[in-house]
Amino acid sequence: MQGARPKSRGGVQDGTPSRARERNAADAARHGVAVRELGLVSYADAMAHQLALLEARRQGQAGDVLLLLEHPPVVTLGRSAREENLRVPRESLRAQGVELFEVARGGDVTWHGPGQLVGYPILDLAARGAPDLHAYLRRLEALLCESLAALGVAACTRPGMTGVFVADPAAVRPRKIASIGVGVRGWVTWHGFALNVDCDLAGFDCIVPCGLAGVEMTSVARELGASAPADLGRRAREAVRAAFLTQFA
Amino acid sequence: MATVVRLPELGESVVEGTVSRWLVKEGDRVERDQPLVEVTTDKVDAEIPSPIAGVVEALLAAEGEVVAVGAALARIADGAQAGTSLETGAKPAAAATSAPAARVEPAPQPDAGDGPRATPVARRVASQAQVDLRQIEPTGAGGKVTKRDVEAHLRGGREAAAPLPLERSAAGEVERRPAYLSYALQDGDRVIPMTPLRRLVAEHMVVSKRVSPHVGTVAEIDMAGVVRVRESHKREFEAANGFALSFLPFVVHATVRALREFPRLNASVLEDAIVEKRDIHVGIAVETEKGLVVPVVRHADRLSLAGLAQAIEDLAARARTKKLSPDELKGGSFTVSNPGRHGNLYGFAIINQPQVGILRMGELVKRPVVRSVGDEDAIVIRPIMHLALSYDHRAVDGAPANGFLHRVRELLEEAEFDL
Repeated sequence: MQGARPKSRGGVQDGTPSRARERNAADAARHGVAVRELGLVSYADAMAHQLALLEARRQGQAGDVLLLLEHPPVVTLGRSAREENLRVPRESLRAQGVELFEVARGGDVTWHGPGQLVGYPILDLAARGAPDLHAYLRRLEALLCESLAALGVAACTRPGMTGVFVADPAAVRPRKIASIGVGVRGWVTWHGFALNVDCDLAGFDCIVPCGLAGVEMTSVARELGASAPADLGRRAREAVRAAFLTQFA
Repeated sequence: MATVVRLPELGESVVEGTVSRWLVKEGDRVERDQPLVEVTTDKVDAEIPSPIAGVVEALLAAEGEVVAVGAALARIADGAQAGTSLETGAKPAAAATSAPAARVEPAPQPDAGDGPRATPVARRVASQAQVDLRQIEPTGAGGKVTKRDVEAHLRGGREAAAPLPLERSAAGEVERRPAYLSYALQDGDRVIPMTPLRRLVAEHMVVSKRVSPHVGTVAEIDMAGVVRVRESHKREFEAANGFALSFLPFVVHATVRALREFPRLNASVLEDAIVEKRDIHVGIAVETEKGLVVPVVRHADRLSLAGLAQAIEDLAARARTKKLSPDELKGGSFTVSNPGRHGNLYGFAIINQPQVGILRMGELVKRPVVRSVGDEDAIVIRPIMHLALSYDHRAVDGAPANGFLHRVRELLEEAEFDL
């Protein structure tokens, strides 16, 4: 990876700069799975894009792909969401410019916003043999733990609480750093994971994240404190890309 | 012809799901492959597609209901018959319970009713224990009764459930971690995230130790006879099969014959019943680079010594190259572990749930032992192996356990093996 940072802030269709496109082609050739960095994409656009890729994948017209992107502030309710985990009325969310979506993914309520790296793997699990939904969650957790290790954060998982936490046994409250919520249609996955890189954690104040009362949200930037590098966002994308390819290529 | 859509296998580790949302209603026309229903398990929401084109005749599970893999979800009339056989009035709950082979967990009641609010897990525990939820003081978020509340109630405690720093998660109860389990990372430490396999093994070990009271017993076995048989067949066996004949198949051979005589060791505990199994499928613990796996030799009691040796060699080789199918790791009724020769006089293995016994081979060492020669006792040198049995004291008492182990010993010492 050379120093050039793909500055993709465009739309979904044409947002991938040529350098990144070349690298994607190389990834796909080498690994049979492509990684696309899309920059900042609205939740609705990203969902439409995912659904198109999902259907193409199901019909064998496209390969496995990981979308890496960020969203403008948005709150989404998964299929296990309970209304009480929204701490503010829906109307005041809208007034704050935070969109709200109810989506066909597992899990409770979550927040996305700038500075949070969102990954949407569109993978045909059946094509990889012995598909197993829970095992898939464990693999997403493993790739997030590995990415965090590369960024200098010791992370761990907690049985019964899918997601990734900071490994700090001395902490009174678990600090959650990445969330997972997945959908599958005929063994092809969509939705995925969200890693708090350097987002404004106040965004989570309007919800009980993932319905886990007593869990604190944290970010890579907050965990690293003063030692956080200036190009943390790029490093995070590279770490996730590498860990994803290790896990799924 | 109507087709019943069942909850498909969603992976080896998935046994049930919650119906989160119906995407069709009764009377709807659906295309083949069109998503019918969303089912949630952990943090995955799976859309279950229709296997055929037709008309939705009946929805057999309600939203919020927990359904087991294989349980009926819906009935679809195929295109030709659609419209003529449209049944109405089939109540989802009634239909689900009458469907053959469908194991349906008690459905969590919607919170809207006049009963108290409770988590699905709490409802299940309460209904199994036949406790009225209204008698339980809730401490959960939103005034819900949690599993912990039910358990506190069952303990008779009015010391009920002080609110914990961690409340419940969507997936279940959060356990508090005591400070003495803590370790603050030090400079130079290496953090190795557990692989999924490592974590499955870890969870299994903890669960097994928790649910099953292990008792251990050891036999000292004179392997002179086995050594003799093995030596005399070693060359021709290796020439015919391409691999060396180890001691493991001899032990498995004796084990399965002893299991036939002691069916209590070939069993499982199911709630408040013990199930003795007719078929003997022996798991062989294999350590691979990726971790511990236990492939299963099916109907191990029907195999000759050579057959066992071949089956074990085949499974172990494929375990190491990760070529086992999930089915080959399932369904064992007893396990034999052979963890290696050195630093292993004997040791007790953790039972491979839901079995009730596991044998662990110790190292084979020449030792002085006392034997009667004519009228005299004499000290002689014999190849001795310790064989350690761990058994589940819920199902097995000392007498049958010792009897079983003694029988394994007799069979090995008699050493009447037909290759």
